[in-house]
Amino acid sequence: MPLRDVALTDASVLQTVPLAEAVAELFEARVPAIAVLDDVGRVLGILSEREVLRAVFPGYLAEIRHSAFLTDDASALDELAARARDRPVRDFMRTSEVLELSDSQIHAAERLMHSGDDALPVVDGDRFVGMLSVAGLCHARLDRPTG
Amino acid sequence: MSVLAIVIFLVALAALALDWAHRTKIALGGAAAMVVLGVLDQEQAIDAIDWPTLGLLAGMMVIVALTEPTGIFTYVALKATQISRGNPVALVILLSLMTGVLSAFLDNLTAILLVVPITLLIADVLRIPPIPLVLVQVLASNIGGTATLIGDPPNILIGSHRPELSFMDFIVNLAPVAVFTLVVTSALLAFVYRSRLRPAPERARQIESLDPARDLREAKKVKRTLAVLVGTIVAFFLHSALHVEPSVVALVGATVMLFVAADDVEDALGRVEWSTLLFFMGLFVMVGGLVEQGVVTDVAEWLTELTGDSSVAKGMVILWGSAAGSAMVDNIPFTTAMLPVVDSIQGDEFDDGLWWALALGACFGGNATIIAAAANVAATGILERTGNRVSFLQFLVVGLPITILSLLIASAYLLLFQL
Repeated sequence: MPLRDVALTDASVLQTVPLAEAVAELFEARVPAIAVLDDVGRVLGILSEREVLRAVFPGYLAEIRHSAFLTDDASALDELAARARDRPVRDFMRTSEVLELSDSQIHAAERLMHSGDDALPVVDGDRFVGMLSVAGLCHARLDRPTG
Repeated sequence: MSVLAIVIFLVALAALALDWAHRTKIALGGAAAMVVLGVLDQEQAIDAIDWPTLGLLAGMMVIVALTEPTGIFTYVALKATQISRGNPVALVILLSLMTGVLSAFLDNLTAILLVVPITLLIADVLRIPPIPLVLVQVLASNIGGTATLIGDPPNILIGSHRPELSFMDFIVNLAPVAVFTLVVTSALLAFVYRSRLRPAPERARQIESLDPARDLREAKKVKRTLAVLVGTIVAFFLHSALHVEPSVVALVGATVMLFVAADDVEDALGRVEWSTLLFFMGLFVMVGGLVEQGVVTDVAEWLTELTGDSSVAKGMVILWGSAAGSAMVDNIPFTTAMLPVVDSIQGDEFDDGLWWALALGACFGGNATIIAAAANVAATGILERTGNRVSFLQFLVVGLPITILSLLIASAYLLLFQL
């Protein structure tokens, strides 16, 4: 049962696309991460919801454990968003594991468990095919008629 | 064989100073080389490890890891900021003193890991640059940590190595000069930074409107956890009278803390920085190799020839030499290597003044460069992760003058009261 039997999500952007555009794609595709591609369609990395969260909110939040006393400072948050909005998505992406279309589903499940990512890019040779999400993989398993 | 020991040690020091690999890999690599190449055998290597130091560090790591989730440190830092009411001089002095006191009773690296993220938050709310504030705290952590046996790794090493020196001995002999130096340097830095760190009045009002108590969840657990922390610190003061070593105090405190505050023991023990403990083990074995090959005795004899019988000259050479060595290679490996050297220099007659000279030199020297102390590396690492890179030179420009000023104060203190 290779990954070609699972519904993948075609969610990717070019590395030069502004962050705001990439986040719109992430939101509309309904997957936890999208692939970031170079000019010829090879996978350079992924942009996950975690990277976006860090880009749009202050960096120190990742370092502190307590924040219930903080109140929203609209102007500071707007300023931060304005600084991030038009920067290319390559500034925020990170490298991730890449799955092959011929990989087994059980191997993909093990990689999803241990990579810490909720979605990984799937390639066929050099060509990006789609994003495999935990929900997509598990849905494919649960939706199969048994018996 | 002694040449081989020196080569391994110097290569390891260079690798640490130039950040060639993770410090634990370097220390363990050096230790492995010493044993495999026959500089010392495995029994000697195991004997060279100072287990009380490791026990003290591990115990304090557990205690602090289980205290941190209570939110008490965030509460204290925010309260200090609110008390300053937007006055930059008061802000710098209060944050500096708070960091110094936390360093003295938790250890400076832990204090820095606790306070720097909160300082970034405070700087963001006040819309002032975070780097000067964090640099002030790093310098304060190295000076404040000098005050106690548990405040700075060099002191932990010295206290574990020489059981004659109790927690109270460190307080009596080092706290006054550390507090004086902390106040002088904080005031100086507050004066230097006063215009850069002045927040707009509305930003100061913004931070005053925050309620830090909102994060103090589970009041009963907070009280229990704080009781264990305070109890452990009180036990440090009394350890000599109770006839228990500081490492035992820390480990018993950690065990009580596990009962009181750890819902998940695996998780609590997972917060022990095992890489740091292994780093120390590697260093101990490398220095054990130098001791076995007589290198340490040679260095001590050379220093004794240099200084003659004068305890003043010995003290000054140890003070300034330790500071210079720490600045170049990190005060932890340098102090580890200096312990047997000072043993040899003092000979059969125990002279606590020389140990205070080593403590002051290594701890204050930790402020000179960005690599001189673990707290500096940790703080600048957090700054870099949040987009505020500090260069070697940027640190040196602030750190070196403060170190020289601190050493001048320490020299005067040692000459007047110790040597």
